[in-house]
Amino acid sequence: MTDTNPEVFADATAVGGDVMIELIGVDKFFGSFQALRDINLKIARQEVVVVIGPSGSGKSTAIRCINRLEEHDAGRIIVDGIELSEDVKNIQEIRRETGMVFQQFNLFPHLSVIDNVTLAPRQVRRMPKGEAEDWGMELLTRVKIPEQASKYPGQLSGGQQQRVAIARSLAMKPKVMLFDEPTSALDPEMIGEVLDSMKDLAKEGMTMIVVTHEMGFAREVADRVVFMADGQIVEVGTPEHFFYDPQEDRTKLFLSQIL
Amino acid sequence: MTVTATPQSPASERKPGAGYWLKKNLFRTRLDSVISVVFGALSVYLLVRVFLFVFVNGRWEIIRVNLKLLLVGRWPSEEMTVLAVAIIVMGLWGGVIAGLIAGRQRLAGTSTAAGMNAAERVSDLVRRFGLIFATILLLLLLTSTAGPWLTMLLALVAALVGYWLGRVAGLRKWGALANWVGVLLLAGIPIGVFLYTTAATPLAEWEGFFFNLTSAAAGIILSFPIGVVLALSRRSKLPLLKSASIAYIEVVRGSPLFVLLLLANVSLEFFVPAALAPSKVVRAIVTFTIFSAAYVAEIVRGGLQSVPNGQSEAAKALGLSAYKQTSLIVLPQALRNVIPAQIGQFIALFKDTTLAGVALGILDLLNGAGAITQQPDFRGQGLIIEALVFVAFLFWVGSFTMSRESQRLERKLGVGTR
Repeated sequence: MTDTNPEVFADATAVGGDVMIELIGVDKFFGSFQALRDINLKIARQEVVVVIGPSGSGKSTAIRCINRLEEHDAGRIIVDGIELSEDVKNIQEIRRETGMVFQQFNLFPHLSVIDNVTLAPRQVRRMPKGEAEDWGMELLTRVKIPEQASKYPGQLSGGQQQRVAIARSLAMKPKVMLFDEPTSALDPEMIGEVLDSMKDLAKEGMTMIVVTHEMGFAREVADRVVFMADGQIVEVGTPEHFFYDPQEDRTKLFLSQIL
Repeated sequence: MTVTATPQSPASERKPGAGYWLKKNLFRTRLDSVISVVFGALSVYLLVRVFLFVFVNGRWEIIRVNLKLLLVGRWPSEEMTVLAVAIIVMGLWGGVIAGLIAGRQRLAGTSTAAGMNAAERVSDLVRRFGLIFATILLLLLLTSTAGPWLTMLLALVAALVGYWLGRVAGLRKWGALANWVGVLLLAGIPIGVFLYTTAATPLAEWEGFFFNLTSAAAGIILSFPIGVVLALSRRSKLPLLKSASIAYIEVVRGSPLFVLLLLANVSLEFFVPAALAPSKVVRAIVTFTIFSAAYVAEIVRGGLQSVPNGQSEAAKALGLSAYKQTSLIVLPQALRNVIPAQIGQFIALFKDTTLAGVALGILDLLNGAGAITQQPDFRGQGLIIEALVFVAFLFWVGSFTMSRESQRLERKLGVGTR
């Protein structure tokens, strides 16, 4: 890890608050291909971290390791004091505290919008139906689509579907939200509405890791920006540092390509 | 055939609408015209022959006289009331289920009947079940007693009352407890009817088309859950479970049903004492179940593979247990995707029940049809054609209706979902 400004960026606690997520020396292989190389990252409570980088750089793999959708091969991952291990109970506990929003939404097409949102609270937290539906409607109101509650996902636009997906992951009252390219599958005119929901979330103090190509969002919302390439963290910094004063050549090259 | 020459007559030129249609669809090119004329002639020829056979030359007396034997075999005459009661109760049951579904769909706003007026609803029903009603009416017209008429009339009334009850219940939201009681009640009725019927006439004596229908239904109902479990086992990470399931599926699918039925006839004696050995009908049902389960397993496995990986990932990310990921998210979608293939498999099983007649010597519809041509009154008159046509007709009515319902379901499920 090549922190350019160690006094400020080596440690998330410098940004504020205690550590929420910690990755220590994480490696991940797909067969003989190494997708992650010695990833070290500390993320503070209420921090918003945006991960950028060229495709195939391991951004998605990194956040998918945090809730065990991918199993890391070496190193340690600690979420809110719980270390990820083979233990199914540990994994379940971390998943309950971690919401995830996918590029392809992955809503359950056979369930209505409200059932999509209330499924986890009812099935995992055993919340009574009435209470779960009130809570679900509150969340749908927060992402500004309460009127779609009884429709099915297939009847909604992409932007609406992604906002339902955000509401669905919030339903478990997670402490961390992981966003895996949440706007990449959307038509341009729908990106704004999803980013707005994410901004609201960030303002409310949610700890967020966002893999995205939306540089505007990174600039406006991120506390820190992580740049990854070839499975490694190349550079970490505040948006100001990152966009106006990048240190590494790899970062400069990437920024020159996308900006 | 002079009949087919009419489309080319000048009459069609005077009516541009019909003439245009004919020219466009049947006589666009020279080759089209040849094909149209040849196949038109062939169709008319066959239709005429079939018409003559059914309405003029066919000697249907043999069917009329033996109708009871063909339909229910040697079911004791004094127990016919039991059968009548069973049919009426099942009519009520079917009505309740149809009503419940209609009510629930109305509530969810997914009802296809919502935009239809009364006339359209009737014509929809006729299109769906008219063939079955017509067939039942035909069979009733062949009977000489009032019993069957009364039974079917009461069954119809029961079905209508059931539909109304089911719809009223379906339009209401019930509590969890009431839902469970309802499900248990609906599952209990067929079991109760079954026990009531077997108490009067043991399963071993179920014959005729009644055997084909009930053993197919039993095979379908029993093989479905087993098939689902096999499909899930085959995808399991536990090596023992996985290989056991693969072995079962591949062995059963690799053997002809007829051979399995013959084996069922002789092999059980190795394992069970003769006194405990099950009846032929039970053996047939067990074999159907074993056989069908392997096919259901492969169909369901295809369905499981058709559900995108993102679905189980989303379920995992929400913290659902492995069991709930499967039962609430993946399996419902998988099963919905394979309904057409599943119904196809059940149609095949329905028709394959005739193999049990031959392999196990059960007097089912097909065996019955063979037997009646050997009766003193009909022997040596070549009536086997009439008998077999009747058999084929009954199976066709059942299979065709199921296949139409499957297509309907397929269209319906494509709406309002992704």
